[in-house]
Amino acid sequence: MKRIMTMFRKELLDAARDKRSVMAGLYYAIGTPLIMCGLFMVLINQLSSPDDLFIKIDNADKAKDLVHYLESKGVSHSDDATKVKDIRLVIGDEYPAQMAKGEAALVTLVADNSDDKLQKSIRRLEALLQQYSAEMGSLRLIARGVDPRVVQPLKVEVEDQATADSKGGMILGLAIFTMIYSVFISGMNLAIDTSAGERERNSLALLLSHPLSTRELVWSKILAVTSFALLGVILILIVSKFAYALVPWQQLGFAINLSPSFMLLMFLVAVPIALLAASLQLSVSFMAKTFKEAQSYLTIVLFVPLMLVMASTYQVAPDVLSWLPLSGQQQALMEVVKGKELPLAQLLVTSAATLAIALVLALVMERSLKSEKVVFGL
Amino acid sequence: MKARTRYQGVRRLSLLTAATLLAVAGLPAKAVDTHQLEKKLDGASESCYLSGISDRVRCGVVKVPENPAKPDGKQIEVHYAVLPAIKPSFPNEAFLAIAGGPGQSAIDHADGFDRMFRKVRQTRDILLIDQRGTGRSNLLACDDGAINALAFNDESADTTAEAQKCLDAQSADVTQYGSLNAVNDIEAVRKAAGYQKLHVYGVSYGTRMAQLYLKLHPEQVATTILDGVVPMQQSVIAIGEAIDRAVALLLADCKANEACNSQFPTLEADLAAVHTQLAQAPVSNSVRHPLTGEAETFLLTRGKFAAVVRLALYSPTTRALLPFAIHEAARGNYQSILGLYGMTVGGLDMAAGMHNAVVCGEDMHRIDAAMKSRLEQSYYGSEMFTALNKACKVWNIPQVAADFADGVTTDKPVLLLSGNLDPATPPSWAELAMANMGNARHLVAPYSGHGIARESCAAGVIAEFVSEGSAKELDTGCIEKDIRRGFYLNASTVEPLPQKSDKQDAAKASE
Repeated sequence: MKRIMTMFRKELLDAARDKRSVMAGLYYAIGTPLIMCGLFMVLINQLSSPDDLFIKIDNADKAKDLVHYLESKGVSHSDDATKVKDIRLVIGDEYPAQMAKGEAALVTLVADNSDDKLQKSIRRLEALLQQYSAEMGSLRLIARGVDPRVVQPLKVEVEDQATADSKGGMILGLAIFTMIYSVFISGMNLAIDTSAGERERNSLALLLSHPLSTRELVWSKILAVTSFALLGVILILIVSKFAYALVPWQQLGFAINLSPSFMLLMFLVAVPIALLAASLQLSVSFMAKTFKEAQSYLTIVLFVPLMLVMASTYQVAPDVLSWLPLSGQQQALMEVVKGKELPLAQLLVTSAATLAIALVLALVMERSLKSEKVVFGL
Repeated sequence: MKARTRYQGVRRLSLLTAATLLAVAGLPAKAVDTHQLEKKLDGASESCYLSGISDRVRCGVVKVPENPAKPDGKQIEVHYAVLPAIKPSFPNEAFLAIAGGPGQSAIDHADGFDRMFRKVRQTRDILLIDQRGTGRSNLLACDDGAINALAFNDESADTTAEAQKCLDAQSADVTQYGSLNAVNDIEAVRKAAGYQKLHVYGVSYGTRMAQLYLKLHPEQVATTILDGVVPMQQSVIAIGEAIDRAVALLLADCKANEACNSQFPTLEADLAAVHTQLAQAPVSNSVRHPLTGEAETFLLTRGKFAAVVRLALYSPTTRALLPFAIHEAARGNYQSILGLYGMTVGGLDMAAGMHNAVVCGEDMHRIDAAMKSRLEQSYYGSEMFTALNKACKVWNIPQVAADFADGVTTDKPVLLLSGNLDPATPPSWAELAMANMGNARHLVAPYSGHGIARESCAAGVIAEFVSEGSAKELDTGCIEKDIRRGFYLNASTVEPLPQKSDKQDAAKASE
């Protein structure tokens, strides 16, 4: 144990000497939440309809009242090409005549519905036209001595079980995804450096010549990589806590709040994942012959956890995913942010599975390091 | 404990002429039925759903003594609801919205407040309180039994007997339901809900409550918004003159509007003619009931007609129909009047007993001889005064102290809002209210009626005022915007009718 600690300190010292590559590993943890929040801020502004929406209204003098109504709700005509949105409302030539006879009067809404930036504005205009139509309809009935409630036979009350937090589930799912991923990214450089790199510098053989078992060697390296991975998680949690609070989510009708208890839970969940990540990355790197080769393998291997977490974030996968490592933990965390109870059984099973895989990988590594082929990269 | 509070629609036909109606009446009629309230009696709030709001909100109850002078006496429940902030950036503050009436339930109008104050709610909780005597808080309603609203003759009704019947039906001590006790209830709710500061919005009669709260608890007030202002110095019974003013404005508007004037050139005479005719004798019509479609007799009295005109003025949409309805009525077609009457009967959800408890104690005695003779000049003024005078004699509520009528003196930020077309609280009332306010600003929307926060522009200004905490730098350009809508020219359209003489258009239409 003492020897493991000595080795562990040596590994950390080694890693810390190369400050630039240490930082490179942690850039992800610091940068991702900042970039994501920046993107969301831009996106929120683009997706929401502006307070004053300018569109083109053709034949406006045929429907003065409708145009006035729209203006009072912040939608008006403009000829200024710089501020006008690409939405056109065409009032039919027969509009006044049809109105006067109590017929349905024609207005045509011309717009590209696939344009994400316009969708909110189009929905808004549609809703306003619908409201205007309903209001006119009610008044027409009143003018004929009929109560407008007659034509609303159903009164539908919606009782939404969502909370302000759970409505932001999609965003939070993405946030959890970046956090789990940071476990894999943050320690990756160190994992390659301390295995394939050490071999390339010929210091691995030197290490093994010391009175030290391969088990102690393997575990000290795993612990060093794990602690780097966890450092990445702590960083991303702290940066996220502040970055997500800056985005005006309330404009989309929900809130994103990373509570201290959630942050603690996230950290605890990340511990077994970090062990898995470390042993996976180390064993793959040891199998590679050179530093470069290790990098290429790891990029491919990283794809597996990425897919697992991704699949559960977007709920495209079968139920079995909730019992697999990584995706299971991701789903358990999602339940918590949605304000539901922590699925303890699921979390324990998947965390145990994660640890088991990590142990198996460590054992495999331990045995392979006894082979000269691996030690000298033959 | 889970209790279902069923709230009966409080419809009181005599209210049509008698009520001061400092309320916001709108189209379509507000839903006033079942709500699920999960309540706890220790003042804490629990999650619940309110009609028209799909989100979960919080509902709570505080127990207060009915009579503050007897703290150990009878306790009543004051219900409140909190529409939680989307992002609670100011957990110690709430935006309190006070409903009008007197007698309207704030919680029943939660969906309206939610829509109006969406921007405020992004960062602050919205607090709604059913004032004592309204809604779920020991409702003082008057049940008018099975009166047939269409055939009922309001002019032959015995106001005194009805007021007595209503009073007899109350089990509460009706002298304890005035504004002053209700202000203490606000304090109790504020403490129970755990807020340190309130932004207080009052509409109509609610502005009296907001002013009283500012007067009595200034240290808890962050900002005050008065929308459709009833100054402390003013007896609400003077509203009769405001109604006449709004009717005159309607006639003038139609005259100034080319399409309306050419369609209804004799509108003023038409209105006078209907009044004169109905004053001689009510008109009886065989009609279909607006809602059920069954054959009924519609007895149109002058009182009902005047009430229809008055109530239609509250909402810009029904106001647009008035010239057509009056024009047709003068020609013996009462369908539109019937339709509007159906709306007013269904749309009045006021606690009549609470209304009396407030008006009789706080306003009746303030009508002096000079005011009385002025009111007698006006049809609306004199009818309302006569009816309320009879009711108040029966109810016999003790007068509030004289200092009740003192205006509010404050340096706190206050935003006053008026609509120029208001049939209840004209802009001049707001000027009176702000006489002693050092940090107040008055905005008049030239084309709006009673309660202008319903319009998106004013709602945005209020949100800005609440977040800035000062009225000085507000962007108020949109208040002046011409939002005038067209008048109905027949039963179907508001757009100018196509000219029959224009052959080109006619040819096009026939193609």
